[in-house]
Amino acid sequence: MTASLLRVAGLTKRFGGLVAVDQASFDVAPGEIVSVIGPNGAGKTTLFNLICRLYSADAGSVDFDGKNLLAYRADQLAGIGISRTFQNLALFEHGTVVENMLVGMHSRLKSGVLAGAFYWGPCQNEEIEARKEVERIIEFLEIEEIRSQPVSMLSYGLRKRVELGRALGTQPRLLMLDEMVSGMNQEETEDIARFILDLRDEFGIAVLMIEHDMNVVMDISDKVYVLNFGVPIASGTPAEVSSNPAVIDAYLGKSAA
Amino acid sequence: MRTRTFKQTYGELTRLLPYSSSWTWYVALLAALIALPLVGPTYVSTFVLLILSAAVGAIGLNIVTGSAGLISLGHAGFLAIGAYTTAILTTDYGFDLIPTLVIAGLVSAASSLLVGIPSLRLKGLYLAITTLAFSIIVTQLIVEAEWLTGGSIGKAVTRTTVFGYPVRSTISIYYIALGVLVLTIFGALNLLRSRVGRAWMAIRDYDTAARMMGINLVQYKLFAFAVSAFLTGVAGGLSALYVRYINIDGFTLIVSVEAVAMILVGGLGSVRGAILGAIIITILPDVSRWLMNTMFRSVFVLPAANSQEIKGIIYAVMIILFLRYEPDGLAARWAVIKRFWSEWPLGKARG
Ligand SMILES: Nc1ncnc2c1ncn2[C@@H]1O[C@H](COP(=O)(O)OP(=O)(O)OP(=O)(O)O)[C@@H](O)[C@H]1O
Ligand SMILES: [Mg+2]
Repeated sequence: MTASLLRVAGLTKRFGGLVAVDQASFDVAPGEIVSVIGPNGAGKTTLFNLICRLYSADAGSVDFDGKNLLAYRADQLAGIGISRTFQNLALFEHGTVVENMLVGMHSRLKSGVLAGAFYWGPCQNEEIEARKEVERIIEFLEIEEIRSQPVSMLSYGLRKRVELGRALGTQPRLLMLDEMVSGMNQEETEDIARFILDLRDEFGIAVLMIEHDMNVVMDISDKVYVLNFGVPIASGTPAEVSSNPAVIDAYLGKSAA
Repeated sequence: MRTRTFKQTYGELTRLLPYSSSWTWYVALLAALIALPLVGPTYVSTFVLLILSAAVGAIGLNIVTGSAGLISLGHAGFLAIGAYTTAILTTDYGFDLIPTLVIAGLVSAASSLLVGIPSLRLKGLYLAITTLAFSIIVTQLIVEAEWLTGGSIGKAVTRTTVFGYPVRSTISIYYIALGVLVLTIFGALNLLRSRVGRAWMAIRDYDTAARMMGINLVQYKLFAFAVSAFLTGVAGGLSALYVRYINIDGFTLIVSVEAVAMILVGGLGSVRGAILGAIIITILPDVSRWLMNTMFRSVFVLPAANSQEIKGIIYAVMIILFLRYEPDGLAARWAVIKRFWSEWPLGKARG
């Protein structure tokens, strides 16, 4: 196995008495697609928020590309190559599709207040370059028709796609997707699965995704990591995990409840 | 129907005004404003001058409150800082007006850090109260620093020069204000269409997502306060010029409420909205006084002209009406109407 891009070890988070994430440990190699699964409330989103520095960890470590992530602020992650989408839509509601994606390019642009106010040469060139790149992402995601629409007017599936585009604007090496396809129809789900595979194959982006849709998980993941009540209960290839009795138990227990 | 709207280069996509026909309209409007003092009666240009300087301040407030979503009731404080800085530098120290206005803006921007830093963790009502407290402290300090500011008596603005030439007439102040407003409009539009403006919008709409996109909340909130305070300080400087005698009574809470009314009526986050709001809120007290005078003279005993009470009631009513019925302000309404007509007869009406 190649050296890991993301290495999580013993990561733990408590909310009062509740241990939301208990000793999570796993690796993501460059260009690998890793799924995190588990019943509702298992601590998957909390795990993402820990990695993204939105929550501070109670124990454990997170290394990304040889850097100790716990020493970084949330707003510094985009600059070193980590981007994410959110479980609940987190678009900038008053902006258009293009504007949302341009925000994704924030850490790669430079203009400050003065350059922006005067909009002089370098700022203008930078804006034009950014527009070009946004058009490339729009083309990749096949959303040309909606590029100048306000995101508030879009369907749920399209908004999710815009959020993916915004995350791509940061040019991530690790893309974290929190329940990307939930609420999408079959066709939209297949599109997203195809995009994820293309991102890996064409750009070498590693993907860490939380997913409830087992078809997507089994079809495209290289590795699956299973949490239950914050506790890691299994990890391995999709085939290994799906035949693991502890996993079946956790899921059946959930659907029986 | 508007045609030829297809863009051929990426540069075209980033233009300030997408259609060259719009430029014609704005140039015509500017020409009319330049001609106004030469052809119109003085009271009209005096009135338009009020609007010009109010518009500069409203654009300033709209940056922090409309674009970045940080509610501020400290507008009066920043206006006061700008006005007193201008009065002191020009009258007491003989500074030229142009650098004075820049310094007024900078002093105001620097003071915004005093309110900006403590309010970084505050939102909504708490932020509103903190900023309100700031403006009260500012006026209190002005009263205390009598040696510098004239204390509660106030301060006359007597000697002002531009490039060595004395500025006395309302007309010359009018042109200075017009120039400042044009620069303000360009600066604000440029900021809002580039990286910093987008970061403000992102913070307002979803701050966690903004952080994940690499936006440092502390830095950009302080930027918003500083830019807003700079413009408001310059507006305060302009007001000192035409009021000619400044006093802390000119910088009470009602002035902050007036500015909030302007951006709410015009449209949060929009430069055009701030200008529309400045026009409407500036003329409204006079229009309503005139209406009441002509229609209900026999029914009401009218309070003194331009009284604070009347203004307060009018602003409150406008804020409530717009929050309830037109929360996106007139600028959004304008956009809807414009879209309808530019697509006419092919488009369909949209709410
Ligand atoms: N900020 C918080 N404060 C207190 N408790 C929290 C907080 N965030 C999450 N929790 C709790 O931590 C547990 C894990 O929540 P989390 O959102 O990580 O689950 P999840 O696996 O993402 O679930 P879902 O599949 O429903 O999205 C839940 O019991 C939740 O109530
Ligand atoms: Mg979740």
